Amino acid sequence: MKDRLEIVASGFGGQGVVRLGQVLGEAAVKEGLRVTMLKSHGTEMRGGYVRSQVVLSPKTIDSPMCENPDFFVALSSAAYNRFKDTVPQEGLILFDPAFVEEIDAKLPCAQRELPAKQLALDNFGRVIFSNSIALGAMARLLEGQLKKEGILESLLEIIPKFHQENRDAFEIGYNYMN
Amino acid sequence: MKRFLETGNFAITEGAILAGCRFFCGYPITPATELAEAMSKRLPQEGGVYLQAEDECAAMHLCIGASLGGMKSMTATSGPGFILYADPYGWALGCEMPLVVVNSGRVGPVSGITGAPGQGEFYLTRYPTQGGNFECITLAPNSAQEAMAMVVEAFYLSERFRMPITVLVDQLITDGFEDITVPESEEEMRQMGFKTWPRAFCAGPDFYPFTDDLDIPPVQMGSGAGGMCSDWTPTVEGYDIEEVDAHHKHAYRLIYKVRNHRDMFNHLYEKKFMDDDPELVVVSYGTPSRVVNTAVDQARARGLKVGALRLINLWPFPDEHFARKAKYLAVELNWDGQLVREVQRAATKDAEVHFLGSCGDLPTIPDLLENFEKLLKNQPLTRKGWELEAW
Repeated sequence: MKDRLEIVASGFGGQGVVRLGQVLGEAAVKEGLRVTMLKSHGTEMRGGYVRSQVVLSPKTIDSPMCENPDFFVALSSAAYNRFKDTVPQEGLILFDPAFVEEIDAKLPCAQRELPAKQLALDNFGRVIFSNSIALGAMARLLEGQLKKEGILESLLEIIPKFHQENRDAFEIGYNYMN
Repeated sequence: MKRFLETGNFAITEGAILAGCRFFCGYPITPATELAEAMSKRLPQEGGVYLQAEDECAAMHLCIGASLGGMKSMTATSGPGFILYADPYGWALGCEMPLVVVNSGRVGPVSGITGAPGQGEFYLTRYPTQGGNFECITLAPNSAQEAMAMVVEAFYLSERFRMPITVLVDQLITDGFEDITVPESEEEMRQMGFKTWPRAFCAGPDFYPFTDDLDIPPVQMGSGAGGMCSDWTPTVEGYDIEEVDAHHKHAYRLIYKVRNHRDMFNHLYEKKFMDDDPELVVVSYGTPSRVVNTAVDQARARGLKVGALRLINLWPFPDEHFARKAKYLAVELNWDGQLVREVQRAATKDAEVHFLGSCGDLPTIPDLLENFEKLLKNQPLTRKGWELEAW
């Protein structure tokens, strides 16, 4: 585990931006790590701007801000454009092309596409499972930092319904990142 | 002990329950709504009472009523609600009713921005009501875990001082998630340094002593002892009076019971790299202090003689920390500068005092480092195009 791992997720309210951070954070707590997660949002619960900033560390965390995120999950064009420049060269942006239309090819960091919305529609006929697909993808990207099983376990604890579908969605995301 | 990934709202709720709080009344407001929600779930499990009032003014009045009935009580709000506590806060101060008031700061003025942090109520927690003739105690933790501890501490102090205590947090603490450790027994509470004080009752015949004594139990209505607990000036026996001599005694008690017992809370601060006469002392409270701590670590790594002072007890203001001749930089979540004014008042005459503000977002580490360097090179501070030397 790195001394400090930063994960930012941002998009619209209702996409599961906060849930995503919460699941990863919960998995980290299970491994005995220290965790902070800031969430910022507008007045609206659905449709408004949302960002969660997760910091994981084996030590006490001072600043809870993700100034140079190791991972940035971009779920809207506005979010992508607002935070893309904070990702350092060794960082990675994971974006859903259904929401992020235009990619800045000049960025120094790695960028990977995850069509979570489309995969959810194709496999389940419902967009709601795209968040579990994104979590599966993050589980692959975080290998060596967080245990896959811990993330899945936290996901099933935090989202109490549709366990089989969420498991399947998680695996779809995990395998997509091959 | 149990570990959770939870919000500051959860941590504060659990802290209150551990401290013996069995009555909560509030009016929902972001970013303290989940606190009310958690209380509505937890209090009935503990045999307590949760009430939602028609507005904030009524909410705090109801909390005072519960306290007069013998229950430890708490209310929670954000800036736009805290200002509506002005009337009942004065009543609680004047009648010396123990109570805990949580204020989670968001961006102001007025409704401002709901889901982003601000520190606009620094002075409001010193003067939460009109009329003067009182001291206030305000505790400002910088994390969810510390918020739990400070709520327990606030209940403890509120009983011993017989007065309302404000816990000033911000949106990042109440809305933000953190790994939180909750003690599960009295032994574990002791291990975590949590102190509690049981509610006792004033047996009379006097309502209050004309002294600065602590540990005078509050009145319980219907117990046949003590005062009328109206909003007028009380006599020592507890009757309403409008005479200057009686008021003088009452004011003495409200001011000096706090001023003369600062040892009860003046240990609540944190210092970092302050033992080698730092040229620059960065002063902050609440969540900005967490970024300041990281920035000061990095400044030291660059060889800059910077230290950090984080205040947890804000009021009465701890003047004793500002006796050294140094440059002070107050870092706050507002653009107008509030803490900085108090630092300037408290600092020695030959100290230099500067201000760096932001609101809605925490300051960034590069921004802080740049400004530390500027100050150490005697250059003026600038930020967002504003000249901030003359704050």
